[in-house]
Formats: sequence, structure tokens, C-alpha cells
Amino acid sequence: MSAEYLFYWSMAATGLGLVLIGLWGVLTRKHILRIALAFTLADTGVNLILVWSGFLPNRAAPIIDSSVTTVVDPLPQALVLTSIVIGVAVAALFVVVGVLASRKSGSADIRHMKELRW
Amino acid sequence: MIRTIVGLAIVLVLAAILITVVDDYTVPSALSGVGELYTQTGVEDTGSVNLVTAVVVAYRGLDTLGEVVVLFSASTAVVLILTLIPIGANPTPPSSIVAFTAGILPGAIILFGIYIITHGHLSPGGGFPGGAVVASAFLLVMLGSNTIPDKSKFLSSIESLAGLTFGLLGFWGMFTLGQFLNNLVIPAGSPGRIISAGIIPLISLAIGAKVASELSGIFSSYRKAGGEE
Amino acid sequence: MNMSLFAAASIGTGIMMIVAAVAALIVKKLISAIIIVGFVSLSASLLFLLMDAPDVAITEASIGAAISTVIFLWGRGKIGGEQ
Repeated sequence: MSAEYLFYWSMAATGLGLVLIGLWGVLTRKHILRIALAFTLADTGVNLILVWSGFLPNRAAPIIDSSVTTVVDPLPQALVLTSIVIGVAVAALFVVVGVLASRKSGSADIRHMKELRW
Repeated sequence: MIRTIVGLAIVLVLAAILITVVDDYTVPSALSGVGELYTQTGVEDTGSVNLVTAVVVAYRGLDTLGEVVVLFSASTAVVLILTLIPIGANPTPPSSIVAFTAGILPGAIILFGIYIITHGHLSPGGGFPGGAVVASAFLLVMLGSNTIPDKSKFLSSIESLAGLTFGLLGFWGMFTLGQFLNNLVIPAGSPGRIISAGIIPLISLAIGAKVASELSGIFSSYRKAGGEE
Repeated sequence: MNMSLFAAASIGTGIMMIVAAVAALIVKKLISAIIIVGFVSLSASLLFLLMDAPDVAITEASIGAAISTVIFLWGRGKIGGEQ
């Protein structure tokens, strides 16, 4: 149980925990905006795990300098960069549709949104 | 109650599966595959010191073009919904603290955002975070005043111009060097200078303008549908 | 480079984020939940910085912590915070 081991795995555990908590919130909450918040939490967790997958301990950030030669993997970071921006656009759309649905059914509780049932 | 227990059970099953998957994962000691290639040849290939910007703009530029299209569709959907189905505006006047802050801060924030955009190939940053910072300055202006005019036509023309610039820069590389979005149509220069890395700074500017105008368009349509809280 | 300091920082931030995420889902008032989710995003940007990803950290701090919080506050103003 070295400090490096703990440092490395605590990142993965945090991301995994956020994904599971967000999924639990999406499954069990009833207020439509609370569901959108849980979705955002799961999104953050997925981004953490993706960046962690390219992380190697004891290396520098991927900005090459004359003194820096060993760096972490830049590819997952580039993908997460775009993923964050898409995440906020999807959250904006989620909130707008949620506001419209709650206006239509008269309540923000998803149990009253009968049009969504099948 | 039953819903909570079922949800908890599903999540616990998923957690067990994930933990068994992660169990035999070992800490890698060196990069492999395409990541190793990018770190070895990235600076010579693109001239960009910041490898993340090199990957976003040059190596995976086509992916970024697709991502910009996704962002465009999402913001168009928000604006379209709020234009077709009005929710009803109830603008409340901003408090004097917010109004005062919105009078002095946005200039500095926009300057910082432009710095982040234009130095994307030298230091952490690039088009996406810089565009978001510029959009947050516009958000502060919108929060601080009820009487600023509606500029959504101007915003959408900037957005179209930025997207067109991105595509045309890509075709420039295709017609001269035979590769879409090749960034060496302008000579790379010496890495580490502000004018270097081919067309990476230009594409960063286009991405920054597009992100800023799209997020500002979302805020502007929110504002027309009712004042922010 | 003091590795145990980094380990303490990442474990402390991780525990704080997990506790805050659970709190955001069970707290009564919606406005508290929105602010707590903004806090989780800001802590995530600290973790990105510890994982040598400064670009992602800047993006998460400006977008995840600021802009998405404003979007949710707008939605709360339109719907109302009753559970």
C-alpha cells in the first residue's frame, strides 16, 4: 500500500463512485431537475475515469519543453475536452425540455407526466 | 420505497461487475500505441508545444469538426424550442451589487478569454475553455441589465462564419497538401512562439468564436423566455 | 516530489466529492442541490489538475462549475423548487 498506489487508485474510485451515484439518482429521483443533476454527476464521473485511463504517475503534463520528455497520454484529455462542452449543451437541452414538460403537466414530478408513459 | 430498493440493487450489481473488470488492471509503466506516437512526434508534426491542442485541432481535427456540429444542433434545438413555445417572461431588475459588478468586470474577463484562445498551442487552454470564458462574460452582462438589446441575429451570423472558417481551412489543406485539415499549409515556425504551429491558432480562434456565440445564444434565448434567477 | 501529500489530497477530495454527490441527491431544497453539484464539478477540476490535465481542469472549472450551474438555476426559476 504505497502512497503512489493510493494516489493512483483513489482517482478511479472517485470516478466510479460518481457514475454509480449518478445512475442511482437517475433511477430513483422524482423531480425532473433532480434527475438532470444526477445525469450531470454521472457525466463528471465518466470524464474522470477517461482522463484517469491516460494517467501515469510521476510524469508531467503533456506540454513539451526542453526539460520535459516523459508526459502522460494526451489523447484521453483531448477527448474529454470535447466531452465536457457537449455535456453542458446536452444539459441545457435537458433543462429546457424538462421545463416544458413540467409546464404541460402542471408539476415537476415525473409521476404526473403521463404523456411519457407507454 | 420499492423504487429506491430496486435502484440500489441495480447499481450494486453494476458496481460488482465493474469491480471484477477493474480487478486485473495493472498500472501501466509506459505509454503505448497512438499515445506514444503523439508524444514522440507531436511537436515535429504540428509545431504545437501543447500536445492536447495538437490532438484536438490537428490529429483529430475531423472529430472536433463533428463535435462542433453536435454542439450546433443542441444549441439550435434549445433556441428553436424556446422560440416556438414561449414560456413567459417575468424579468426582475438585477440587484445593485450585480449591476455594479457587471459594469466593470466583463472587459477583463473577455480579455482573459481571448488570451486563453490565442495561447492554446503554447499553454493550457484553446478554443473550448476560452470560448466558455468569453460566453460567461456575456452572461454577466445579460444578468446585470434588463435593457440591453437583443443581438441574436448577430450571434448566429458569427456562429455561421466561424463554422465556415473551420471547414474552409480544412479544405485549404486538402487542395494544397492532399489532406483534410493538414495544419502545415502555413509553415510551422519555431515551436514556442506565438506565431507558430501552422493554422492551429486560426482554428482555435474559429472554435472559440463558435463556442462563445453558441453558449451566448443559449443564454440569450433563455433571457427572452424569462429573466434568469 | 512528496507523493504522500498528493495521495492525501486526492483521497480527501475524492471522499468529499462522493459525500457531496450523495448529499446533492437527498437534500430537500433544490437550490442547495444545484450549488452542491457545482461544488462537485469544481472538486473534479482539482482532481484533473492532480492527474496532469491542466487543459481539462480549465474547461471543467469554467463550464462545469459556472455555466451549467447558471443553466440549472434558470430551470429552477421556471419550475420552482418544490419536491
